[in-house]
Order: sequence, then structure tokens, then C-alpha cells
Amino acid sequence: MIIRVVLLCALAAIGYLGFVRRNRLPFHIVLVFAILAVAGLAVLFPERTDVVANWMGVGVGADLIGYLVQVCLLFVALHYYTKFVDLQREITQVVREVTILRAEMEALREAQAAGARSDELR
Amino acid sequence: MLASIARGTVREIESMDRLRQISYVIIPAYNEAAVIGAVVGAVLADGWRVVVVDDGSRDDTARAARRGGATVLRHIVNLGQGAALQTGIDFALRRGAERIVTFDADGQHSVEDIGAMVAALDDADVALGSRSLGRVVGATWQRRVFLRFATVVSNGMSGMTLTDAHCGLRAFRADVAPRLRMTQDRMAHASELLALIRRSKSRVIEVPVTVRYTDYSRQKGQSGFQAIRILFDQVFRR
Repeated sequence: MIIRVVLLCALAAIGYLGFVRRNRLPFHIVLVFAILAVAGLAVLFPERTDVVANWMGVGVGADLIGYLVQVCLLFVALHYYTKFVDLQREITQVVREVTILRAEMEALREAQAAGARSDELR
Repeated sequence: MLASIARGTVREIESMDRLRQISYVIIPAYNEAAVIGAVVGAVLADGWRVVVVDDGSRDDTARAARRGGATVLRHIVNLGQGAALQTGIDFALRRGAERIVTFDADGQHSVEDIGAMVAALDDADVALGSRSLGRVVGATWQRRVFLRFATVVSNGMSGMTLTDAHCGLRAFRADVAPRLRMTQDRMAHASELLALIRRSKSRVIEVPVTVRYTDYSRQKGQSGFQAIRILFDQVFRR
């Protein structure tokens, strides 16, 4: 039953690294620990997953887990894609502000230099 | 008779001079050092204020544009044409622009068309250049077919009935600019702009323009495969 130990340790590590050490919202922590708990139960009692699978209309428990993993992975991909697009928009905004501020500073510097030159001429 | 014609001409010149003072021509540029100086020079020689937005070029685009006499803004990283245009528009608005023109950096547009575009805003909020109403010089037949096809697809997506899909020569009034704020950084900004125009119920006018394709502009232009990426951005990166 080494696989059970390995899987449980992996789940515990994800929970610890991802959500206990980092400061997240309570809802996220509860949700992730619920998922980790269900995953842990599936590791400890794999035969029970067949019962749940039959109840949900799936033949074997492993298939049910496979389907759920697929859906979860798609959700995660979509979630991070959305985050990525948001981040990109924020970067664009920051770069834009830096660009305009730089141009305004250069114009100001040039105006000051021109003013200094005309003072010298007087 | 002659005196009244002369008076009319003087009035027209004065009116164009006024338009030149309240307008900004925005030129987004990425790795265009070879041509940007000449493009800037031509637009400046016609009396327009020019803002070049160097979109993080790896060549001497910024220096060439500055040498040409333009005000140059420089993105510290490459963001895309849409982002560069919006940066130029924001800058022009902060400088008090009343009319804004977008102009391609590769030299395909005619400087003579800028006046007609800006003047068209007397009766509209947005003026879009149209190659179909105007003239296309130097285009291959494949490019002409592609442009026709792109126009049909674009009209289908935007719900508008334009004669040209995405001509880079456009003009709009500053008061509608906040409603036409583009968030698409790359080439999908052109489709996004049409959607924003429609949503904001802006008054649109199409102005005939002349576009000259050269070996350089053909090499820098959009390929059919890039159109697929633009479509992806338009659908998924909302």
C-alpha cells in the first residue's frame, strides 16, 4: 500500500504548500481542504468510489475520478488563463503610464534646458 | 466672382490650419527604423502634429522618429499595435487633442488623406478610411481577395456594413475617445474598435483613401495565418 502513502503525502504537501503557508481567503482554504479530504478518502477506501460511481451512473470508480480530474484541470486552465489576461491588461496599463510619464519628463527637461539657455543669452 | 472664390479658398485654408492645431496623428511603430523617418517627415511637412509610439522596437525606430521631428513615446516592452495606439491616444488626449488620427508606420497611407479624414469629423464622430471607396496600389490579387473576405467576416462579426474591414487610417473626435477605449493589445484591436463604435452608437463616416503596398509593407503586413490568431484574440480575450 505504498501508493496510498505516496498519494496522501502528495495531497498533504499540496494543502500545506499551497494554502496553509500562503495567506488565502477562508473560502478557498475550506474548499481545497474539502477536495483534499475527498481525495484522501478515495485513496484510503478505493472500493467505495465504485459505489459513488454507480450511484452517479459511471461504471467504475477510477473512471469517475478520471472524469472529475479532467473537469478540474479544464477549470484550473480557464482560471489561470483569465488571470493571465487580467495580468496582461494590468502590465499594459503600467507600461502605458511609464511611457507617458517618461515623455512628459523629457519634455519638461527640454523646456528647462531651453529656458536656461535663453537666460544665459540675456 | 474671383474675389468670392479667393475668399472661399482662404476660408478653407484657415479651417484646415485650425484642424491641424487641434489634431494629433498617432503612428504606432515596431521595428520600422528603415521607413519611419520618411513617414514622419511627410506628415510633419503637411503641418500635422505627430506622435510616434515605438512599441519596444529592437532597432533604431525611436531615434529615427525623433530625428524626423516627431514626439516619441517608447514602450519599454513590446505590447502590440493595439496597446501602442491606445498609449498614443491617451497621450494626445492629455495634451488637449480634439481630433485624433491613426496612421500606419510602414508608409502605405497617403498624407494627403489626413486632411479629408479630419475634416469628415465635422459631421461624424468617427471617420474610417476605405480602400474600396478609394484606391489600392500595388496589391496582389491574393491580397485583394483576402481584403474582400476580411470585410465580409468583419461586417458579419461587428454587425456594421462597411466597405473596408480594417484600414489603419482612422480618425475620431476626442469626446468619443473614452467610449472607444481598446483593451486588445495586439491586432484584434481593429475588430474591437468596430464593436466599440457600434456599442457607443457613434456616427461613422467612411472616407476614400489611397493605400500603396510596397515590398516593404507587404513584408510587414498581416498574413492569412495571423488572421486566425486575431480571430482567437477577438473571441477569447474579451
